[in-house]
Amino acid sequence: MATVRQIEGSLKELNELKAALDEHAIVAITDAQGKITCVNEKFCSISKYAREELLGQDHRVINSGFHSKEYIRDLWTTIARGQVWRGEIKNKAKDGSFYWVDTTIVPFLNEQGKPRQYIAIRAEITARKNAEAEVRKLNAELEARVVSRTAELETTNKELEAFSYSVSHDLRAPLRAINGFSEILLSEYASDLTDEARHYLERIRNGGVRMASLVDELLKFTQLNRHSLQRLKINMTDMVQEVVNELKQGNSRSVDTSIGHLPDCDGDPVLVKQVWMNLFSNAFKYTRNRDHAVVEVGCQQKNGAYIYFVRDNGVGFDMKYAQRIFCVFQRLHTVEEFEGSGVGLAIVQRVVHRHGGRVWFDAAPDRGATFYFTLNGE
Amino acid sequence: MNNITDGGIEILLVEDNPDDLEMTLRALRKAHLANNIQVARDGAEALDFIFGTGPHAGRKVENRPKVILLDLKLPKVDGIEVLRRIKGDPRTRMIPVVMLTSSKEQPDVNECYGIGVNSYIVKPVNFESFASAVAELGMYWLLLNHPPG
Repeated sequence: MATVRQIEGSLKELNELKAALDEHAIVAITDAQGKITCVNEKFCSISKYAREELLGQDHRVINSGFHSKEYIRDLWTTIARGQVWRGEIKNKAKDGSFYWVDTTIVPFLNEQGKPRQYIAIRAEITARKNAEAEVRKLNAELEARVVSRTAELETTNKELEAFSYSVSHDLRAPLRAINGFSEILLSEYASDLTDEARHYLERIRNGGVRMASLVDELLKFTQLNRHSLQRLKINMTDMVQEVVNELKQGNSRSVDTSIGHLPDCDGDPVLVKQVWMNLFSNAFKYTRNRDHAVVEVGCQQKNGAYIYFVRDNGVGFDMKYAQRIFCVFQRLHTVEEFEGSGVGLAIVQRVVHRHGGRVWFDAAPDRGATFYFTLNGE
Repeated sequence: MNNITDGGIEILLVEDNPDDLEMTLRALRKAHLANNIQVARDGAEALDFIFGTGPHAGRKVENRPKVILLDLKLPKVDGIEVLRRIKGDPRTRMIPVVMLTSSKEQPDVNECYGIGVNSYIVKPVNFESFASAVAELGMYWLLLNHPPG
C-alpha cells in the first residue's frame, strides 16, 4: 500500500507535469460522445473562445470545413477502435481566423474496452503551414515561369529555323545571279574588257564566291542546334586518326602529327568529330608557314575530367585580341593571310557547350596555340 | 522556245526566278539541249501545260515532255504540289522529274523522294558547276534514258 506521503509525492509530480504540458501544448478532453469536458488555457487563447463556451460542445465548434469527410471519419474510427490518431488539422477560431495544429488524440478505455474519454494534445504549426503554402506557391510560380520561358525559347528557335531557311533559299538566289553572270562575263567577254575592268569583275566574282561560302558555313552552324544530341561511347584515338587522315589527304604539305593517349569519352560522334576537324584544320592552316610544322594532340586528367587538347607551333595570336574568338565570323587574321570564314571555332564552342563541357585556349604571337576542351562537366 | 508544235516539247522548265531561268536556259543552250523548251513561270502554269488546261486547253496530255525541270519553291502552286499531281496521274507518272532546289536544307527535299522525284539538283551558287549539272542531267534524261511508251 502506498503511503500518504508517496501519494502526495506522485500528485505533486503529476501536477508539475500538467503545468509543464499546459505551458507547451493545447489540451482538450472529451467524453466518449465527443463532448468537451476540459480545455486548458492555451486551447482557449488560440481558439479565442471562453472556457464556458467550449465545455459541453463538441469539436465542430472549431471546424474549419477544410478537411474532407473521409479525413474526419478516419480520425473518429481510429480513436473509437481505441487507437491513437496523429495528424494535422486546420481549425477555425471564434473570430473566423484559421490556425493549424499538429494533433495527437489518445483514447482511454473503460473496463469493457470501450473508449471512456479522449485526450487531445496539440501544438500550433500555423507558421510552418503558411511557410509550406508559400513554398508551394513559389514553386508553382517558378514552374509557370519555366513553362513560359520554354515557350519563348521555342519561338526563338522556330524563328532561327525560319531564318536559316530563308538564308539558304532566298539569299542564295541573288548570289547565284551575281556569281553566274560575272562568271559568264569573265569566261566569254573577257576579251572585250580592259585589264582594269576584268580586275574589278574578278573582285565581284570573288566577293560573291566568298559570300556563298559564308552562307554555307552559317547554315552549318545553325544546323548544329537542330541536330539532337546523342551520347555514345567514342573511341577518341580512332576518331582523331580518321580526322588527321582526312585532312592529310587533301594536303600535300608535311605536318608532323603526334597523337598521345586519348581516353574514350561519351558524346555525339557526329558533333565531336566536327570539334576535332575544326581544331585540326586550324592547326594545319596556321602552321602553314613553318618549316617544321608540329601538331600535338593529347589528354590531361584533372579533377576526374578529361581535358583534350590540340597544340600547334604555328603563328599563334595575341591573347589580348582573343576574347571574341569563339563568336561567329570573328577572325584574328585577314583573308589574305589565312583563308577562313570565322565559323569553325564557333562550331567548336557550340558543340562543347551542348555536351556540358568547356573550351579554352592558350596562345602567343608566333609561338603557336593550344586549344583545350572537356565534354563533361568538371 | 517553242510551243507551236506541242508534240515536240522535250523539256518543260518550271522556274520563277528570272536570273535562274536565264542561266538554266543558257546552260541548256550551251549543251545543245535548247530545242523545244517550254517555260512555265509558276506551278499553275506548269500544271496547265502538262494537263492541257487553261491557256493550254486542247493540248493533249499524251504529248508528254521528255523531262521536267521543276523548281521547288514556286508562286501559286508549289513545286511539291506540282510533283504530286504529276506522279499521282497515270498519264503523267512516267515523265522524269528533276527538282531544282536552292539547298539540301529545304525540308521538302525528303518529301520529294517520297512522292517519287527522279533526281534533284541543288542549284550551286558556283555557276560553272550549276551549268554542268544542268547539262548532264538534261543529257541523261533526253539522250540516254528511254522513257517507256
